[in-house]
Amino acid sequence: MTLLRAQGLTAGYGPVTVLHEIDIEVNEGEIVVVLGANGAGKTTTMRAISGTIPRHGTIEFQGHSIQKAAADAIVRAGVAQVPQGRGTFPELSVQDNLLAGAYVRRDGSKAIGDDIRKWFSVFPRLEERATQRAGSLSGGEQQMLAIARALMSRPKLLLCDEPSMGLAPLITQELFNVIGRLNREEGLSVLLVEQNANLAMHMASRVYLLETGVIVASGSAAELSADDSIRKAYLGF
Amino acid sequence: MELFLQRLVDGLSEGSVYALIALGLVIIYRGTGHLNFAQGEMALFSTYVVYQFGEWGIPIGIAVVLGMAVGFTLGAATEVAIVRPISKKSPFAVFIVTIGLFQLLNWFDGAIWGGQQLPNSGVGSKQVRFPSLFPNAPTDFVTIFGANIKVQSLGVIGLVAVLTVALFAIFNHTRLGLAMRAVAANGDSANLVGIRTGRVLMASWGLAAAIGALGGVVFAGINTNVNLGLMFTVFIYASAAATLGGFDSPGGAVIGGFSIGIIQNMAAGYAPKWIGQEMKVGVAFLVMLGVLLVRPSGLFGTSRVERV
Amino acid sequence: MKPLISIKSGGPASWAIRIACALAVGYILLWIPTRGSNSLIDTATTALTLMGAALSLNLLLGFTGQISLGHSAFFGIGTYTTAIFVTRWGWSPLKTLPVAFVVAFVVGAVVSLPALRIKGVYLALVTLALGVVFPQFIKWPKIAWLTGGARGLNDTGFKFDKNNRTYEIFGWNPWGNLRGENVKPFYFWIGIGIVAIIYLICRGLVKSRVGRSLIAIRDNSTAAAVMGVNLAVTKGIVFGLSAAMCALPGCLTAMKGSVVTPDTALLTVVGSITFLIVMVVGGAGSLWGPIIGAVVFELITEKTSDWVDPDKIPSLIRPIFSWSDTAPAGGIFALALVVLMFVAPLGLVGLWKQTIARVVSVVPRPAGSGTLDAPESSAGGIPTWRPQQEPPAGDEAE
Repeated sequence: MTLLRAQGLTAGYGPVTVLHEIDIEVNEGEIVVVLGANGAGKTTTMRAISGTIPRHGTIEFQGHSIQKAAADAIVRAGVAQVPQGRGTFPELSVQDNLLAGAYVRRDGSKAIGDDIRKWFSVFPRLEERATQRAGSLSGGEQQMLAIARALMSRPKLLLCDEPSMGLAPLITQELFNVIGRLNREEGLSVLLVEQNANLAMHMASRVYLLETGVIVASGSAAELSADDSIRKAYLGF
Repeated sequence: MELFLQRLVDGLSEGSVYALIALGLVIIYRGTGHLNFAQGEMALFSTYVVYQFGEWGIPIGIAVVLGMAVGFTLGAATEVAIVRPISKKSPFAVFIVTIGLFQLLNWFDGAIWGGQQLPNSGVGSKQVRFPSLFPNAPTDFVTIFGANIKVQSLGVIGLVAVLTVALFAIFNHTRLGLAMRAVAANGDSANLVGIRTGRVLMASWGLAAAIGALGGVVFAGINTNVNLGLMFTVFIYASAAATLGGFDSPGGAVIGGFSIGIIQNMAAGYAPKWIGQEMKVGVAFLVMLGVLLVRPSGLFGTSRVERV
Repeated sequence: MKPLISIKSGGPASWAIRIACALAVGYILLWIPTRGSNSLIDTATTALTLMGAALSLNLLLGFTGQISLGHSAFFGIGTYTTAIFVTRWGWSPLKTLPVAFVVAFVVGAVVSLPALRIKGVYLALVTLALGVVFPQFIKWPKIAWLTGGARGLNDTGFKFDKNNRTYEIFGWNPWGNLRGENVKPFYFWIGIGIVAIIYLICRGLVKSRVGRSLIAIRDNSTAAAVMGVNLAVTKGIVFGLSAAMCALPGCLTAMKGSVVTPDTALLTVVGSITFLIVMVVGGAGSLWGPIIGAVVFELITEKTSDWVDPDKIPSLIRPIFSWSDTAPAGGIFALALVVLMFVAPLGLVGLWKQTIARVVSVVPRPAGSGTLDAPESSAGGIPTWRPQQEPPAGDEAE
């Protein structure tokens, strides 16, 4: 079943249009990866979907249009974004960051507390630093926190904007493993934006190739890697 | 010793007013990065409203609560109708607008409640008597270690202490408080976890103005009357307090407020010839300059204040 | 919409307009002191005072992108320097102008240095405090022997006497009668002189190389560091200059009045806010803005000053203003400040330029024709203080 369907999505900043009528779909239970180089429009795609920048076109989530919805309403609808550069609340403690992630939930502090414990068990390093200011964490820990915070809202779809940015390969691998496990075990759908094609391709159900704001190719990971010209031009292996 | 104690208590009770106004400044600064120059005048408006309620026969306690509600509405409406749309243009425009509000509110107060507009530091403006929140007859004092401490001073300090504790409980243990801290830390991310930043900012301005209203009422009570120039120097003291404590630290604002109150009272008391009543405000000015020179982020602020 | 008329910059039409404007201004300047009533000359002199102060404030905004709410203090330093030198040591008032200039420069530079190292509105805050402190300082008992304390100083202006020369030109003396019978035009001309000096300093700085590079680095401290400019010192000097210029109209206040007290309105924070209003209403960041602003401000203030009496209000707008017995000018300008930020952040001059651009297009001369024909607004335009929370810095900032 289609979870997210964006058609003719156009977005940009002020007078500059970055995205030109792209179509993206995410089905339930999929990990969809958008690959592209610097300036291809990956982050803009994320921002357009999460409602943090003005956009045109149709965006449907679970069959309902979210094209006109504000960013906070889109979170309520079940789409959580892990922003590029983590975007944690540096002056808040790790625990408070997670609580803020649960801001839209109305199911009581007990359920929220259970969730915090759950993500602490997934990311034990966060538990060790529960009372520290988020700003004092290392890059990898902040990325974990950003992901855990997004998951605190119990989203149906997780938007991940370049989680590997600025992280050591080992930590990136660890993060991707967690995302893969959540997908398998809990059926979490993920839309992931990456530059690091190698890593992301392994876990992707489907892949979109984005170039200067236009989708130039799409298909399953296997299909795209099978196509020699695409592989050489875009995937670099 | 008696004198010291008396000055300490006087300093604390005046300082509590500065703390309240500074707290308002900090709440707004943290949320939006704007310095609300109209903070003092918003408080003055609410104070006049409380005075008016009193004239209509409403008991002072209820009048204060109503006045705070009026203050909240004024602050929230200012954010929604004026500051938010203008802040999309430039911070300069926001600055000019807060100055415009400063002047507009002061003129408006004068137009309704009399007195010439924007008096020269309060001189020559019509004063109206303002009731104290606490017993303030000449006999209303308690003796502690030989010092005669006014009941009013103790009441003011107690009231502000309770309010401060309540505010910090709101900051640290409620949904609204969490949202306010999140917006202050990172507005974009706050939006991404589903916080309606607009509403939080509106509430912040409202809260700041409501706290300010209480500050105005308390100060008018200490002063026993209210006039158009009442908040000029208070605003300076409060700014010095916020600078001292750090513009993004609510706790710093409170400590800064009390410190400035004590410093200026001690300075004026112990050096009556050199500082006296005239140069009390000069002390605050020097504190402000000194803090900016030595530690621009203030005692408890983070170094978000950028140096050039 | 295409402009109806197009004028070539430097062409005959452009010169004709310039000459016409210059003649009109010249005519008005001569008409006021010779044909105008005494109260008109007074109003004009006050307008010139505000003009000078607002121009100084504008220089600071244009070059450092920062705002002072303490220029009333520098204005007051001017007033008191003149008053003190005249009353205590018997100086001739005109000779106190350079002294006031230097004193205000030093005070301004010293006060601004700590604050200028910080970004944003801190300078406004510190200077606001300075504006509040200044009158208190004057009242300080320790220096009352010099300043006269709260009671102020008397006889601070010119002393006219019957034996003065009158400097007639064929029986015509546009500067008034210096024997003390009709001296108002004389003050008017001093005001003109002060504004002319300030205007020329501003204009010279704006069009100089130093000024241009200052504007270029105003909002970019990294660029300044790369260029090896010590921004704090440079800004301190600009601030000092701005303060020094603001002292001059302050001197005029002492020269024409016979009494100076620390509660004189323009010497308190009221003055600072008035200067700011004049600058912003006229047009912040343009050389002509403060000039237009001062004229408009003083005209409206003067015209509405008797509206405290409802019968004096023109009947058409009486219902709007008759509810209060306070003069409406303060409210009108406060409201104007807020409204202008929405509709025309560059003030009346900006509004005029927007309007005129729809009707007339000025075709610039081809580059390299070698004249200093910089756009008026090069005094800086409105600086964009960097917001505290940076907007998303474009896409894909990997």
